[in-house]
Amino acid sequence: MKLELGYIPIRDIQFSSTSKVDGELLYVNKQELIDLLLQDEAIATVEVDIARPGESVRITPVKDVIEPRVKVSGTGGLFPGWCAKVDTVGSGRTNVLKGAAVVTAGKIVGFQEGIIDMTGEGARYTPFSKLSNLVVIIEPKKDLAQHAYEKALRLAGLKAAEYLGKLAIDIEAKEVHTYETLPLIEGVKAYPDLPRVGYVLMLQSQGLLHDTYVYGVDAKQILPTLIGPTELMDGAIISGNCVSACDKNTTYHHLNNPVIEDLFSEHGKTLNFVGVIITNENVFLADKMRSSDRTAQLCEYLSLDGVIISQEGFGNPDTDLIMNCKKIEAKGIKTVIITDEYAGQDGASQSLADADAAANAVVTGGNANEVIHLPAMDRIIGSIDAVDHIAGGWSGSLNPDGTITAELQVITGATNELGFNHLSAR
Amino acid sequence: MIITNNPCVRDKYENSYRVQYIEGTYRDVLIAVRDNVHIGHALYTHPLMGSLKPNETPYRSVIISDEVRSDPGAESILVIEEAIRVYDHFAGMMRPDRGEHASERIKRDFRNIDLSLLESALDA
Repeated sequence: MKLELGYIPIRDIQFSSTSKVDGELLYVNKQELIDLLLQDEAIATVEVDIARPGESVRITPVKDVIEPRVKVSGTGGLFPGWCAKVDTVGSGRTNVLKGAAVVTAGKIVGFQEGIIDMTGEGARYTPFSKLSNLVVIIEPKKDLAQHAYEKALRLAGLKAAEYLGKLAIDIEAKEVHTYETLPLIEGVKAYPDLPRVGYVLMLQSQGLLHDTYVYGVDAKQILPTLIGPTELMDGAIISGNCVSACDKNTTYHHLNNPVIEDLFSEHGKTLNFVGVIITNENVFLADKMRSSDRTAQLCEYLSLDGVIISQEGFGNPDTDLIMNCKKIEAKGIKTVIITDEYAGQDGASQSLADADAAANAVVTGGNANEVIHLPAMDRIIGSIDAVDHIAGGWSGSLNPDGTITAELQVITGATNELGFNHLSAR
Repeated sequence: MIITNNPCVRDKYENSYRVQYIEGTYRDVLIAVRDNVHIGHALYTHPLMGSLKPNETPYRSVIISDEVRSDPGAESILVIEEAIRVYDHFAGMMRPDRGEHASERIKRDFRNIDLSLLESALDA
């Protein structure tokens, strides 16, 4: 399976009478996009706005971030199971509007969360402050149930990203990146002397506002399975998750998974990247046992020497993480886990809700309880009264002068457990 | 058996499952679960389900086995004891507008999320 990603750099987004990509500018016909999204009968109103890097703008409450892409050749279309049929994706050519994103916002519940600041202290903590963002704000029809609102907002984001992505179908890419995964036996033969490394990608799958979808299937209903790393680059996995802003994986993260990127870049040099195993994080302990058993079994079946495991969220997923780690290590396979921490505002407390001696190689995305101070912004996109109610805000966290004192967990992507971030302790 | 302090969960499931309704806090639910687990009930759902932190939502619902088992294993005990430790850690960071002190509108949303997480477990 071989995929070429064609990067089309986008420097700015502007509203215009015609939607098009011209050089490094993305022009958007706002009304045309609004009319497209309003076709969903669950939606009452759609607002579309633009937030640019460096602007004094705060977006909140953020639900998802999605990169516009389009399939140029190869089977299937972006976001299979949603915007396209369920044909297998991950081969051929896909064009990417690199530097642009769709950000969805909407207050599904009173304690909704997620801040993206485009400048100041907060901007340092979220990678999305570096992008030109088209923000889509959806208000649902009156009395629409919360799960229906979540779905409408989720689909609106995907549709908007598809709409923008299609503008790039005939544009010549500035850069082309090629990713290839060989069939298993050929892959073994290609680099027989390098350690065989796999990636276990844990997907949040607990229920409303905590879900992830694979080819349109709710991940809580899957058994752990193999998926081609390039399938993710075409949107085979999307986020339906909007609780715990700092350590959820947005759809943008799934499209640009940095663990996959780094494993590809070391493939054939220091390691042999064998493949990706996806597993879930369910509520039932029996599901956790079954999924971690099968994940470890797949690692053994693939004759892996080492595995990287990334978590999503906090709390009971810590149990899934440690079960995966213990069971894979028990097969004689080395693991490195990627997580984040809730170690208290002083950073002194135990970081995870579970632990084991087998978890002896840990990468952290940071301490989500760390207190940060965000300056006031000139403009708010979305609804600022959410700030008092987001995870990691507290009463008075929104000060009268517009500044915010809150824990790091309010910021979208701040302690991401794929390591998709700019800050480090180095 | 469902142990819960969420009236929405009680109202929805009391006719189809055994429900032990706790007039109390999130921690009171965890303690009731612990007491049942120590006499041999098995823990079915993770007591920290969902991404809402124990210092945010005041509601908690946990499913355990109806029957007392002769050999329940240590796993259930380890998980519930660890959950109580985590709860107490977060309780030290309780916000004045959260947990039991949250506004009625926010509490309604917390009840709905707790119910929906349980629904997606039971109805899957």
